[in-house]
Amino acid sequence: MEESKSVHVRKTFAPEIDERERRQLELTWAEPRGFFGWFTNTHHKSIASRYIVTAFIFFLLGGLEAAVMRWQLARPNNHFVGPDLYNEIFTTHGTTMMFLFAVPIMEGIGLYLVPLMVGTRNVAFPRMNAFGYYTYLIGGLLLYVGFFMNVGPDAGWFAYVPLSGPEYSPGKRVDIWGQMITFTEIAALVGAIEIITTVFKQRAPGMSLNRIPLFVWSQVVTSFMIIFAMPAVMLASQMLPADRLISTHFFNVAEGGDPLLWQHLFWFFGHPEVYIIFIPALGFVSSIVVTFSRRQIFGYTPMVLSLIATAFIGFGLWVHHMFATPLPMLGQSFFTGASMIIAIPSGIQIFCWIATLWGGKLHLKTPLLFVLGFVAIFVLGGLTGVMLASVPLDLQVHDTYFVVAHFHYVLIGGAVFPLFGALYYWFPKWTGKMLSERAGKLNFWLLFIGFNLTFFPMHQLGLQGMPRRVYTYLPEMGWGNLNLAASIGAALMFLGVSTFLLNVLWARKSGEVAGDNPWGADTLEWGVSSPPPSYNYFYLPTVAGGYALWTQTDETPVVIGLSTECREVLVTHVLDATPGHKYELPGPSFWPFITALGVGATFIPGIFTPWGFAIGGALCLFMLFGWFWSHPRSEGARASEKRKHEPPKSDAAHTRLDKAGLPAEGEA
Amino acid sequence: MTQRPAIDVSGLPEHGFDAREPLWWGNLFLLFIETTMFGILVATYFYLRQNFQLWPPPRVYASPYQVNPLPDLFVPTINLILIVISCVPMILADKAARRGDRLAALIGLTACIAFGVAASVLRWHEFSALKFQWDENAYGSVVWFILGMHFLHLLTATAEAVFVTLWIIFRGFDVKHRVDITITSVYWYWVAGIWIPLYAIVWFVPRWQ
Repeated sequence: MEESKSVHVRKTFAPEIDERERRQLELTWAEPRGFFGWFTNTHHKSIASRYIVTAFIFFLLGGLEAAVMRWQLARPNNHFVGPDLYNEIFTTHGTTMMFLFAVPIMEGIGLYLVPLMVGTRNVAFPRMNAFGYYTYLIGGLLLYVGFFMNVGPDAGWFAYVPLSGPEYSPGKRVDIWGQMITFTEIAALVGAIEIITTVFKQRAPGMSLNRIPLFVWSQVVTSFMIIFAMPAVMLASQMLPADRLISTHFFNVAEGGDPLLWQHLFWFFGHPEVYIIFIPALGFVSSIVVTFSRRQIFGYTPMVLSLIATAFIGFGLWVHHMFATPLPMLGQSFFTGASMIIAIPSGIQIFCWIATLWGGKLHLKTPLLFVLGFVAIFVLGGLTGVMLASVPLDLQVHDTYFVVAHFHYVLIGGAVFPLFGALYYWFPKWTGKMLSERAGKLNFWLLFIGFNLTFFPMHQLGLQGMPRRVYTYLPEMGWGNLNLAASIGAALMFLGVSTFLLNVLWARKSGEVAGDNPWGADTLEWGVSSPPPSYNYFYLPTVAGGYALWTQTDETPVVIGLSTECREVLVTHVLDATPGHKYELPGPSFWPFITALGVGATFIPGIFTPWGFAIGGALCLFMLFGWFWSHPRSEGARASEKRKHEPPKSDAAHTRLDKAGLPAEGEA
Repeated sequence: MTQRPAIDVSGLPEHGFDAREPLWWGNLFLLFIETTMFGILVATYFYLRQNFQLWPPPRVYASPYQVNPLPDLFVPTINLILIVISCVPMILADKAARRGDRLAALIGLTACIAFGVAASVLRWHEFSALKFQWDENAYGSVVWFILGMHFLHLLTATAEAVFVTLWIIFRGFDVKHRVDITITSVYWYWVAGIWIPLYAIVWFVPRWQ
């Protein structure tokens, strides 16, 4: 025993890849099949693909709602939909796009790519990851079941009190909105913890902080924002239903409550939310720019610092959504200042990308085209953002189409265009097939022209005084032509998205085979087959420089010695990613799904009776017991496994171990 | 053997305490979330405070009419002491888990469970010490919410202790669950620690304003 306690990382040469070993690894990491298998899967790639597909379906639904609104507003005095249905549609559109599409799809792409990019086999807590997905799905279904049963929320995506309070919104519409928030927030928080822990503890040896790809940095920064922003809306989305169901008075003026409290709580989450959507998109852009300009990023360190600065400043902006409320002047000035300052880190990043592209050998493929579209649109959205940061202008255009134009420029320009770029960029990795370049270019131009035709006129409409959220307008207002133009633009966007869908269908059937690295990119995921094997890496990689694949040589070592008979990963140290210990991850399990149902059985009955929380809470407790008590299939395999490698004699990197075989204190 | 250099990690240990363990980090981030949540709840408390001349407000519907119904101190203070003292057996269980001392860990955890149950029972009485129902006014709503949220964490911590105790008794004292005990203890310290400022706010802001 004495020898095996002193060890631990030994330098050697990799053996030939043994087919038996490879098959064993495949068996260990095999995805469960069949109908029931679907509910037990804990692979990060499978769960992430579900996130991406589900979120994209919600994107299409939200887009169809937008199309109905544009149809309605295309001419004055239109009666295609009535005011009540229109309220439900715009609320569901906003809610869907923010909570069910934008955040989950960004996290989904992160959950797929982050473990690959840092060179590990799964996320840190695979079962919790699956739990997050089911919770999100339940939340999404809740909203849409409500919508189709005519109890869709109708108080706007930020549900201001007193409109959403018990007095002005009787019925259950707002409660469905509130609990839907709870489900999606739980899922987002779970995803955030997954991503940060995986990046902190499971990076490939050698991937010190200054070698982490910018994509991974952007996901980590976003996840930290989620951790600090989401609790506010989780509280708010319990207080509002509590006001409505059990007569608390958080927002009731008559009993000392305060409607502005709602606005503070909501926007303390709501403004960082914008950056939670936008920062992952910056990660996409950085990946794409580096790959297609064939150069290292200009100013890696300023880029990382800008991401972090954006996250910090993003928490100091929320009051600029509330300039039309009676706030102290000093407070308003502070938030005006912060709103302008945040343009600086964004500007730094834009200039760094331009500097990277400048003089690079550009490969103008579809992903890069979407990035260039992003720069153009986002700069326009940023400009109106700086305008809106000043209180007098904001008061003038508050709640008009000018604001609608601004945030669509920022969100579609800042997130959806990079997202499409990312979909074109990583589709070959996910499916093994290339999307068509010609259809991709058509897709881009339809979306780009359609987008500008839809939203640019809205600036003018807003300045002419057209308020948002009106279901129709009179011909005498003179808003007809610009609205018609916007609606035509929406039709072009519809065609653009349809082109994308057809392109995907076509590529899956008869697209060109992609190969491992069709773009010649630098990050680790391009070093494995497309789609990647279930275990990601046969030998975990090590990293010798900032651009993992570009700096890889024959001399770059690989990691050997992880078990093929259980789902083992390597845990490394936070700062310098030196190997720490081996760690066994659980295999397939039903419990995440069952526990998510338990959470559903807590908050959905909680819409109707407070007993839902008590009974559902107790139910969840039992389910969690079952979860922790269960033996997932792979766990424990290690005990029966024979040691494949000789207990190595010490030569490199010693770690002192205590009696129990654990590293001694102070070696973290 | 190929010419590809490799590092062999088969001799590395299978678990690590504290910052070496991914679960420790997962728990830490959970506590970030919960701390933010309580921070925002405290901000809500002081935000609503601005809307009242008297805090707590007079109980106008009660008989007899109460002008300054300060929350009772006795039971809550006992409970605060109980919650803080409960960290002692948890520290013992934590240290025992690191040493690999099964009996001491069991004793420590059992004592923690007893403390957790006692604190939960006393918490029930703390609600009535507030002298308001949640639906009387915004003051009642926010203090009930603070107590209720902390109650939920108290129950969770106790349930966690029950779980690891049962595991040790029925499944054994394996290294993975020894690490779990040390992480449970971090959660426990947090639940106890966060209650000190919350207690001070709920019971002393009305007195010392």
